[in-house]
Parts: sequence; structure tokens; C-alpha cells
Amino acid sequence: MAAQQAGGSPESSGLAIETRALTKRFGERVALDSVELQVPRGCAFGFLGPNGAGKTTLIRTLLGLTQASAGSMQLLGHPVPAERERALQRVGAIVEEPRFHMHLNGRENLRIVAAVRGPEAYARIEPALARVGLSERAGDKVKSYSMGMRQRLGVARCLLADPLLLILDEPTNGLDPGGIQEFREMIRAMVEQEGRTVFISSHLLDEVEKTCDAAAIVDRGRIITQGPIAELASGGGARHELIVGIGEGQAAAALAALGQIAAVAEARSSDEGLRVVLAGEPRGAAEVNAALVGAGIAVMRLEPVRHSLEQRFLEITSRLDAAELPEQVEA
Amino acid sequence: MSAIALRMVGADFLKLRKRRGTLVWALVLTLLPLLVYFIVRAAQHSSSPAEHGPAGGTAGYTDAVRILAVFFGPLAAIMIGTDGGAGDLAAGVFRDLVVTGRSRVALFASRVPAALGLCWLVAGFGYLLLVVGTVVFAGSSPNPSGALFLNGLAFTLLSTGVICVVAVGFSALTGSRPAALTVLIGWQLVASPVLANISSLGSSRRLVLSQAIVHFSPISLGDRGGRGVTITMGGATAIIVIVGWIALFGALGAWRTRRMDA
Repeated sequence: MAAQQAGGSPESSGLAIETRALTKRFGERVALDSVELQVPRGCAFGFLGPNGAGKTTLIRTLLGLTQASAGSMQLLGHPVPAERERALQRVGAIVEEPRFHMHLNGRENLRIVAAVRGPEAYARIEPALARVGLSERAGDKVKSYSMGMRQRLGVARCLLADPLLLILDEPTNGLDPGGIQEFREMIRAMVEQEGRTVFISSHLLDEVEKTCDAAAIVDRGRIITQGPIAELASGGGARHELIVGIGEGQAAAALAALGQIAAVAEARSSDEGLRVVLAGEPRGAAEVNAALVGAGIAVMRLEPVRHSLEQRFLEITSRLDAAELPEQVEA
Repeated sequence: MSAIALRMVGADFLKLRKRRGTLVWALVLTLLPLLVYFIVRAAQHSSSPAEHGPAGGTAGYTDAVRILAVFFGPLAAIMIGTDGGAGDLAAGVFRDLVVTGRSRVALFASRVPAALGLCWLVAGFGYLLLVVGTVVFAGSSPNPSGALFLNGLAFTLLSTGVICVVAVGFSALTGSRPAALTVLIGWQLVASPVLANISSLGSSRRLVLSQAIVHFSPISLGDRGGRGVTITMGGATAIIVIVGWIALFGALGAWRTRRMDA
């Protein structure tokens, strides 16, 4: 069930989502503050932020569930709200938890949305149910479904649009570990095998890191940073860091040797031995090793540092907290 | 009506038809009072024919139309209409329909014929029972003419249909089915008769919807269904009042559906 691309049309070019100075106010409170977001096509994109950061507000604004106070936005190349109907034809979305008519069965709930979407959506009901593994339970009333089944039915409802873009708001909420794993695999398959773009809002860092190719970190209604996951985790740019295990008492000599080579941007001793930040490519690790061995240092361990998104996220949000603290104290 | 619009109406009809609680109570409200009426009147007639006339026939038909079209049919119409107007919001699926990109006004518009369809189906069952009761229990009394039967059906459909459409619009406006249900039943059962009885309101009482509707009754309802004084008005005035109510609440419901945060 690969997404059918519309060649040459706005749907097949440019960014999946683009916002410029998008602002949403609720009275005095600014929920979105000049948001500049660019979501590339054909990837799983995480929209990461703590509770109350503005994630759901952004999604609701993009989908026209609430009006923006200022700024502009485009979905699949179509400006919204000006071309909202065309833009949303190929967008599927689950906002907050998926809701259904509980007195109807799964298939009937899909029929209701298919009726609104158009005749071609009817033909997608059975494939969509099969895609999410609900064919056998589609005749049961939704009130008998587990949370995981409702999430899957929500995805099936999105698939009725044959979406180029799926927008999922906290999709793993309420799922057990097995359900989360299944969901993650389904998202990856949609991106890698079907060529869809999946935009996932979440406060679960680990989930975004495992599922997404790129992400934006949002806090207090502002986009703090965005880019590929690896870049975000390393703090932006191609920052490669090594842990070097060396013999006792050799740190000074090792630092002196590393100071001679261009591949090293920064080196310092640490509990593990040395922490070395490379100036460029990860290949520089070989030069580090050669320089140390050449200087008669016994290299026992050479390991790249794995930065996690969680570390980066906490760095960013704690910096923001620190920056805002004096203002709060003054206030 | 386009194919998509027809499908949307069909989908809205499905939602209403499958809501067992609403449907059962609407049928109970429509059928049970008629059943009770015919059974009680038949029992009275059989025990004392000189004192009590037959349950059916022309006299029985008049009473039965009053029960169905003036009292209980509109209550069933309110139940169905309020469900149709606020059902999506109550279930939390309105936003899922909005994110399809379909116009919100179109989403509202499809609810009206769907609710009307179910309302008339229920009213039709009620009228069928009414006709059967009228004929079966006619005894020595003459049966109403075919034309009167048809006019009675048209009046029943008008009475229930208008109230149903107003209920769809009003419940979309409030966004709450319980609130809309309470207000409309209160209006229908209490406020309307009270307003019609306040003579100092003069000709402005013509604006009361139930008064405009009973203008089209094919039978004499005496004191307008036993709920107050007769407010006389011309046919054109009655039509204007009915159309005005439908247009007002249709427009308000559509406006609210279009403007609200989903």
C-alpha cells in the first residue's frame, strides 16, 4: 500500500510541512511563538517537547482545527488555510487520542470517514484494516477495543486518504511495550517502503530517537533546534568525540602528542582516560591512534562517544530554565 | 445533491440508526402513547359502549393525531435531532472529520437530511400504528377519508420534521446534546404553551413555532392541542414563521460548526 505520488504537483515537491513565524495566542498566553518549522519529505520527523510546550497546538493549527493568530504555513506545498481542502486531501492525522463512535464497529467508523473523504477512500477500507492487522476485529464495536487497537484503527483511518503526510500526536500513549514496538515498525515501514512522511509529536525522547530520522525540539512554544537526529544529539554540526583509554601516568604525554595533529579539535583528560573531540570526519580516529602509538602511548581503548537525544534535550531545556530563572525571580 | 453529499448523509444516517438508545426511546415515545390510547379506549368502549365511543374511527383518529403529531412525535424528533446535531462532538470525532479537509458547513448540512430521514421513519411507524388503530377500532364510527389520512400524514411529517431540523441546528449551536435536549423539551412542553396563553403578548404569539405548525392540522385541535388558546394566523404567516425558525437555527448551527475550535 505505497503512497501514490502526484507527479509535478505541489504534493510531490518541496517540504511536507513549512511554517513561517507561526504564532498562536490564547488571550495573553502565547502557545506558539513565531514557529519556523521545515519538515522534509519521506522521513519520520519527531516533534519533541515537554508537556505543554505547544506540540498539540501546532498540530491543531496546521490542520485547521484552530486558527493561527499570525504567520503562514504550508502542507505538502499548499498554503493553509487558503488551500486547506486540497492540502488535507493527502494528509492523515490523529490528534491527541484517536476517538470513534463507540456504538459503531471499526469498519463502520472507517465508512463514515470514507464518505467524507470521497469514493476512492471506500476502496481503501479493507486494505487499511489489513495493513494495521484489524481485519478480523473490524466487525466488533469499537467500545470493545483495547487502546492499542484504537490507535491502530486511528492509523487505518489516516490511511483512507492514502496520505503523503501522516501527523500523529503522541501515538504511543497508552501502548504497552509490545504495542510500541509494533507501532514503531509500522511507522518505519510507512517511511521506508511506502515513501510517506510521518510527523510524530512526542515527549518521549527515546521513542523519537528510535523512530525518527529528524526532529525539532520545541519548548514554551518556540522551536529551539531542528535537524537530523544524529546532528541534534551531537549538538549540531558533525561533532565526533572519542574516549581513549591509555596507561596510567601517560595523560600529559598523550595530550602533548594529540596537540600536534590537525585532526584533533580538543583533548582533555577524564576518568576514562582522554576525551578527544575530532576536528572533522570520524576517520580522524585513525590519526589519533597513530599519533598516540607513535608517541609510545599504549592505547587500550578507542571508542566513539554516543550522544543521546535525551542528553541534548536536557542540556537545552535546562539552559532555557536557567535563562528564564532570573526573570521569574525578578517577576 | 452530489454523490459525496449523498454518501455523507448516508454516513450520518448510519450513526443515528445504530444509536440504539436514541432509536428505542424515540420509538417508545412515538408508539407507546398510541398503543395505550387505543387499548384504554377500546377497553372503555367494550365495557360501556353507550358512554364511550369506539377507540378508532374519526373521533379516535383526531385524538390519535393529536397524541402523535402534537405531543409525542415532536419529543421523538427532538431526541433524534439533538443527537444528529451534536453526536460527532459528543463522540470526539468532529475533529477527525474536519481534518479530512471537507467544508465544515458541508459536515453540518449532511446531518440535517440524515436526522430528518430517521425522524420521519420513526414518525411513519407511529402513523402506521395510528391508521391501523383507527381502522381496527372503528366499530360503528365512520373511518376518515383517504384524503384525511394523507393530510394527517403530511401534518405529522411537518410537525416532527420542523422540530427535528430546529433541534439539529440548536444542538450544533450549543455543542451539547444534554443541554439542547433539556432546553428544547422545556420549550416544547412548557414555554410554548405558556407563551401562547399570555394574551398581553398579542399577535407576537404567532412567532411560537408550535402555533404556526398546528395551523396546518387537517383536524380540528380545538384549543390547539389542549395546551392553550387558539392563536389565529394566515397560512402565509404560518409558513413564514416555520421557515424563519428553520432558517434561523440552521444558520446558527452552521455558523457555530464553522467557527468553533474542533
